[in-house]
Amino acid sequence: MKNNTVKQLLIIIAVGAGLGLLVNAVNPGGVPLILDKNIYKVDIADSNKQKSNIPEGFVNDPYDTSSYKQGHNWQVKEKNKQGFVEPEQKISKELAKQMYDIKALFIDARKKEDFDVLHVTGAINIPYEEFHAKPRQEQMSIMKKFNKDGIIVVYCKGEKCEVSIDLAYDLAKLGFNGVNIYKGGIHEWKSAGYPVEEK
Amino acid sequence: MKQILSNKYFQLVLRFAIGAIFIYASVNKLFNPQDFAKAILRYDMLPVFTINMLAITLPYVEFITGILLITGIYKKGASMMAIVSLFVFLIALVSASARGLDISCGCFSLEESSTKGDINMRIIQDVFLLIGAFIIYKFSDKFLPVTDTGDDTQTGGEESVKC
Repeated sequence: MKNNTVKQLLIIIAVGAGLGLLVNAVNPGGVPLILDKNIYKVDIADSNKQKSNIPEGFVNDPYDTSSYKQGHNWQVKEKNKQGFVEPEQKISKELAKQMYDIKALFIDARKKEDFDVLHVTGAINIPYEEFHAKPRQEQMSIMKKFNKDGIIVVYCKGEKCEVSIDLAYDLAKLGFNGVNIYKGGIHEWKSAGYPVEEK
Repeated sequence: MKQILSNKYFQLVLRFAIGAIFIYASVNKLFNPQDFAKAILRYDMLPVFTINMLAITLPYVEFITGILLITGIYKKGASMMAIVSLFVFLIALVSASARGLDISCGCFSLEESSTKGDINMRIIQDVFLLIGAFIIYKFSDKFLPVTDTGDDTQTGGEESVKC
């Protein structure tokens, strides 16, 4: 590589980085330069080791809106401190089932046509793409009937989908504290023999 | 072969194509560092403290590289920048694929969903782009009057008028 190329390369990097930093500084949606280490994902491998922090005998009420003022914090602890929600709090199928048993709100993030064919019994359907496209106000009006500190489990198909993670972000940004991502999704749930509604 | 590769129209098309792809890939990320950081985070490759810095700066470097490739300014530097970044992306993609990570690429759109698992397709695309960028780097100034003296502006200007 000629010196000249190196020089040009460095100029491109310097100008690009400088511009990026400048725009980030004035961009209202900008992020802090250093991502807080504590706001970091729990790896999916750890989900097997996860223990539930649900108190014995507790039954979740997804429709209890009294907790909008102040409440406890469930699985997702760090939220939006620095413009970031905890990205991936993934839970195992066992933990998902435990949450199901205490009446956690299950949200299916897939499209309506997929939801209609098969979903977790009692789950509601919030198609991520439609939801994400809506302004914050509308998102909030959809969600306002749900408990902000209640336990929520978001899932999608399983193997190759991320809409559950994406929807979990959106919900956490709206201030929902107990959002969990069940990455195994509907397929794992069904093969584990857990309750589903099927057409 | 060399003559074809260094043909200025071929070069022009190649530069335009790769430049456009770089710009297209960067626009979504320019004002969305948060979503892009999320995409980088999913690769699980870099120390957490570097992720936001990268999410802030990389899209602008990509964007400038694209503009420079299209205009023909700093051809050598821009094509080398493309090579370096495409190579880094390639490593990230291959490693994600090898580790069986179920993630979206984060290459173009940051809102990709439902149909993921496109990593292998992205690897192939990346290799093609890499070859293209290499051809630009290696053969760009072969038969042009102005040699690579660090001031490519003249040649670039001439060509962009033609296009």
